[in-house]
Amino acid sequence: MKKTLVLFAHPYFEHSTTNVKLLECYDGMDNVTFRDLYEDYPDFHIQPFRERKRIVEYERIIFHFPIIWFGMPPLLKLWIDEVFDMRWISENGLNILSGKDAIIVASVGGRENNYSLEGKYKAEAEDLLIGLKVSLDVNNIDLKKIQIIYNADNLTDAELTLHCEDLTEILTIE
Amino acid sequence: MQNSIAMTILIFLGAAIIMVPLGKKLGLSSVIGYILGGILIGPFCLQLTGRDAADIMHASELGVIMLLFLVGLELEPQKLWQIRKRILGLGVSQMLLSIVGIFIVFYIAGFGLKKSFIISLCFAMSSTAIVLQTLKEKNLFRTVSGESSFSILLFQDIAVIPILALLPFFSKSEKALSQAGHEKILLQYLPEWLQPFTVIFAVMALILLGRYIFTPFLRFVSRSGLNELLTAASLFLVIGVSELMISVDLSPALGAFIAGVMLANSEFRHELESAIDPFKGLLLAVFFVSVGATINFDIIASKPFFIFSAAFIVLAIKAVVLFAIGKYYKMNNEQSFFLAFALSQVGEFAFVLVNFAASLYLIDYQANSELMAIVAITMCISPLLLIFKEKVLDSRFIKQKTEENVELGIIKQRKIIIVGFGFFGSTVGRLLKANGIRSTVLDSDPDRVALLRSNGFNVYYGDATKPALLRSAGIEDAELLVLCLDDPEKNKFLVDYVKENYPEVKIFVRAKNRLDAYDFLNKKVNNIYRETLGTAVDMAVDILQENGMRKYTARRMGKRFMLIDKAMTRRLAKEKDKDMITFTLRESLEREAELLTLDSISFEENHWSGEGDDEDK
Repeated sequence: MKKTLVLFAHPYFEHSTTNVKLLECYDGMDNVTFRDLYEDYPDFHIQPFRERKRIVEYERIIFHFPIIWFGMPPLLKLWIDEVFDMRWISENGLNILSGKDAIIVASVGGRENNYSLEGKYKAEAEDLLIGLKVSLDVNNIDLKKIQIIYNADNLTDAELTLHCEDLTEILTIE
Repeated sequence: MQNSIAMTILIFLGAAIIMVPLGKKLGLSSVIGYILGGILIGPFCLQLTGRDAADIMHASELGVIMLLFLVGLELEPQKLWQIRKRILGLGVSQMLLSIVGIFIVFYIAGFGLKKSFIISLCFAMSSTAIVLQTLKEKNLFRTVSGESSFSILLFQDIAVIPILALLPFFSKSEKALSQAGHEKILLQYLPEWLQPFTVIFAVMALILLGRYIFTPFLRFVSRSGLNELLTAASLFLVIGVSELMISVDLSPALGAFIAGVMLANSEFRHELESAIDPFKGLLLAVFFVSVGATINFDIIASKPFFIFSAAFIVLAIKAVVLFAIGKYYKMNNEQSFFLAFALSQVGEFAFVLVNFAASLYLIDYQANSELMAIVAITMCISPLLLIFKEKVLDSRFIKQKTEENVELGIIKQRKIIIVGFGFFGSTVGRLLKANGIRSTVLDSDPDRVALLRSNGFNVYYGDATKPALLRSAGIEDAELLVLCLDDPEKNKFLVDYVKENYPEVKIFVRAKNRLDAYDFLNKKVNNIYRETLGTAVDMAVDILQENGMRKYTARRMGKRFMLIDKAMTRRLAKEKDKDMITFTLRESLEREAELLTLDSISFEENHWSGEGDDEDK
């Protein structure tokens, strides 16, 4: 399995049920480092050098977060702003991210049929992640999979178990 | 034998000092050591004590009184309320079933209705002193079996009050039989029909005293700022109340207990505990020794079969009842056996009750001595049963040990003690309280304590640098200790003391400045809060803003400065340990400035592959 860094960002984790269950999938996995950004940087003071030094060591980054008000949590956005460097994508710049791959795991409260061009929100869930997708792409990070968990506030135990099985499988994608 | 008081104390303490370490060597609890010491010096062995058992019991009575006072202090009404169902459930079932069981056996043995009933009342009690001592020694207070034991003991402590009030009623008809020879007693207990009312009057008087007199009195004394005066006042209070009760012919133990309950809510609770505790410890030691010394071997020798079989039957009935209760409350075998063995003995209340009953002529002298012998024997045997359980039975239950911590639903919050509640500590405490986190607070300013208490804070008066006060505030089972005293030396003293004696407790400490922080770091404390750091940085951030820096940038520079400063402090603390302080301090200042500039440069550059890992800390 690839050496994996999980970046988890959830501002209201204590009220989440689905993500508590999903996080269990990372427990005890070989080569997986789990990081809870809201625990690491409660005052939003990100230390970019420490993050950059760390990130070099991994082959895969998993971005795991809830979609809140149709976007990613602010601390994750800030993390990208602080850690990623525009010079990495200039013509002759060395890019430490180049060649890594990524997986996005995002939970949303709404039902799947609301997230379509004809639906209530007139946008697909993946479209809401466009900024992140472009950022990864331009840094030459290969986005392997986007896993959206719909209706995350009202999942039955059986449905949750299915999602967990999916996630465990996704972790091992080559 | 005409020993002086000092001589008696000398002999008793001597026996304890010799026998307890010996017992410990053999793996026995201190209680057995004391009792063995008592037997050794008693009239039937070395004859060092007087043959008059009553003298010795009287000498130790104050220990039981103090114990009851301390138990009362523990009985905060709210705490009581939280575990009320368990106390009632466990306590009532234990008392009722034990009373019924013992009553049936003694009634069948031909003791007569009234006598058997009184005996069963006395024998249903367990020994608070022995059990609490055992729980403390084995550190079992927080386990399921420990908490259940405590609940049952608590209920028994309360049950003593109605039983004491009830006994005189039984004496009514007895009186008729024995009227002729006992005018004196009648005089003492006259008028009979007023008897229950004197109990009520006395209790009411004590409640009023506790409410309106004791606390202001202690506040007045504490303002003098002399520690020994408060100790004197505590002793005065306990002994005074017990003498008061004696003067109206009521049990002094009952009085001390009520006085304790009345003071459980006052800010002096922990200070009183720490003042009384050493006296109680000493007197209880004397009490246990006297239990050994009062075992009347003549009576045992004259009726060995009766005495021993009675003792074993009582033990067996109580143990079976307790085991069944344990099982009913879904404890595992290990816990149930602990409960059954730990509480199977007859307690020291029995001495009080039996003596009281004897003074009411409910039982005669012969029966009195027999009952005392039975009580003492059960007290000696139950610690042995616990050892048997530990050595033999526990190995069979090891598999079930993992279930030990399945709590039955008592208080689960992490226990926090805050020491020092001035401007610093009170800010900490207020934020905790605003988030519903309870803590025990110790402070040594009586006026402030009174003020805070009137605002609903759980504050206690006392000098926390006295280990005894920390102990009575519950440092043994505390998880977090928050030190916010003004005086850094006191904070350091407390850190040293707690690190050495309670290494499990996590310490949060207030430091005046860098130099204090070095000391705390070298004492292996990780949570250090320099009062001069955060506020000074806030100020500098605002000044940066005044100079035209954007607020967000200024804040970020402030944050970064704090991180670097903390990391530097950690590093310098190690060097300070090697006595390089003056040299490195200046060097450190240079390095700090260097780091700050370096950091703002490196933010612009690709510094991610750099060597220095200061930021990691």
